[in-house]
Amino acid sequence: MIGLDSVSASVGDFDLNDISFAIPQGSYGIVIGPTGAGKTTLVEAIAGLVPITKGTLQLGGSDMTHAAPERRRLSLVYQHAYLFPHLTVRENVGYGSVSPKVTVEMMERFGLGEVAGRDVRILSGGERQLVALARALARRPEVLLLDEPFAALDPRRRISVRRELRTVYFERRFTVLQVTHDFHEAGLLGDVGVVLDRGRLLQVGRPEDLFRRPASPVVADFLGAENVFAGRAQPIRDESPDWSPSVTAEDVEHAVAFTTGAVTLYAIGHVIPGSAHAVIRADEVSLSRVAGASSVRNQFRGRVMDIAPAGAITRVTVDVSGLPLVAAVTTRSAQELQLAPGVEVFAAFKATAVHLC
Amino acid sequence: MTFEPAAAPRTGDGRGDRWLTVVVALAASLFLLFIVAPLAGLVGTGGARGLRALVTDAELRNAILLTVGTATLATLFGVIGATPVAYALARGRFRGRSLLAALLDLPLLIPHPVAGIALLLVLARNTPLGAGLWAVGLQITGSVTGIVCAMLFVSAPLYVSAAREAFDRVDPRFEGVARTLGDSRWQALRRVTLPLAWRGLLAAAIVMWARAVSEFGAIVILVYHPKVASVLSYERFTAYGLREALPVAAVLVLLALIPLAALRALRGDERLPSRRR
Repeated sequence: MIGLDSVSASVGDFDLNDISFAIPQGSYGIVIGPTGAGKTTLVEAIAGLVPITKGTLQLGGSDMTHAAPERRRLSLVYQHAYLFPHLTVRENVGYGSVSPKVTVEMMERFGLGEVAGRDVRILSGGERQLVALARALARRPEVLLLDEPFAALDPRRRISVRRELRTVYFERRFTVLQVTHDFHEAGLLGDVGVVLDRGRLLQVGRPEDLFRRPASPVVADFLGAENVFAGRAQPIRDESPDWSPSVTAEDVEHAVAFTTGAVTLYAIGHVIPGSAHAVIRADEVSLSRVAGASSVRNQFRGRVMDIAPAGAITRVTVDVSGLPLVAAVTTRSAQELQLAPGVEVFAAFKATAVHLC
Repeated sequence: MTFEPAAAPRTGDGRGDRWLTVVVALAASLFLLFIVAPLAGLVGTGGARGLRALVTDAELRNAILLTVGTATLATLFGVIGATPVAYALARGRFRGRSLLAALLDLPLLIPHPVAGIALLLVLARNTPLGAGLWAVGLQITGSVTGIVCAMLFVSAPLYVSAAREAFDRVDPRFEGVARTLGDSRWQALRRVTLPLAWRGLLAAAIVMWARAVSEFGAIVILVYHPKVASVLSYERFTAYGLREALPVAAVLVLLALIPLAALRALRGDERLPSRRR
């Protein structure tokens, strides 16, 4: 388990401020954020390599705020592996290993048997990362910290290394905190997502929630939401048809009218009236050539501005009364609809697909 | 539509370039001549006599042995005492770090007789520290210990500076990884940092040794007797003239070739091409 309570740390001019989150025992945490967000500083503070100036750090239920790194029962893998260049592959893997048997086991798992006696300086980038992972796991850590460990790997190798790491993880169920800037990886691996920016915590939650319900337009933008609109939100009157009087709970979400430019969207949320942002993921927007008669509350007529095919998915930007709305449709649908710049289309998305923040 | 021919690429004035090349080559040649000619002249004129004198001249032989021995001792003390200082300067983030680094560079910048005077002020028999050392049987002025002190004072800063660079070249994250793999601070230093920095530290020690061997100003003020090679060459020059000083001076130049060769060998080893797949 990794628990941070109002943790602050400094490296040179960079400050990590007031970070609080928890990764339960045996869970896989993902830290995402742009360059300069403080992801590596966070990992190094947890490892004890950067002193924590404020707050507390719990590892495995014990207070480790000021414990020496060697007492934290964790391992750290950097993007650049940091293999000890004066040692062979076998010596690197065995450096902190709990036993020679575990060293051999890890070398076999990661397919390093053939290069065991090799000088690490002549290994390829992928092999170096495998050695770094094997070295970290041979210590049998309770917490594994990974700082963009797959970034230097080619796509094929990345998949196989990730799979092997997942296998070991499911077998031993240690706690993992991995830094990445790959949203796909975050969604694929994580139980808990942590979004950082400029040394501050922006949001913590399940990766799916981070993507679907970002806490701020910055998070939405960073996590690749194509449609983030600034505007004004106004809860609709508490009466039929937008309100069911039989529901009395105070925290029930309201129907909300969100106005951005000349367009008013229908949304559901807890929004306080005033300035807000609406986030709509492109894959929630559907397109048709005729107006549909369905329960979908938001239907707009517009003209195709741009079409960007990318494999099986095509991103279509539609001009809706001056609002550039991006829809992700299958490339086949785009062809069947005969979409082209200037063509009139109807864009539709549910009120529940509009996230207000 | 009008097509314009592409402008011819600008070329430098060929004649101007040639002149510049000639001027630069001339300046470089003069500089090299200025450095190499005196040394070559010295070895050419006195080298053979100097090597013969090593066999026949007991005073010269003793001075060389004393120089090599005291320089080695000074280097040893420097490595033991200054390595932690260099490491602290490379890795530590403490208040006064820049001031400490500047203070350690100071002996390199002051005239060496001044360094000798400074040492005399602290270590002479009539000073509290000198008297204390004398009381425990450690005589500084006019002794081998004094020579080691003078050599250490003027040459250790070179070691600190080069050793600090050697530590700086080792990414602290290597130590960090070692710590997360279970090493204490000392273990990480011993198992990772020192093995990665040893070439640089050895080169720093060689430079310190070479500087100690060539020291004259501080030794002549603090000790004079027993005579190291540099003091002997000065004494023979002032007492008997250039002819008698030449063999001693030539042997000192030849002696300097040893650390030079060692440094070249170290650097050559560093540059060995690594095999890449």
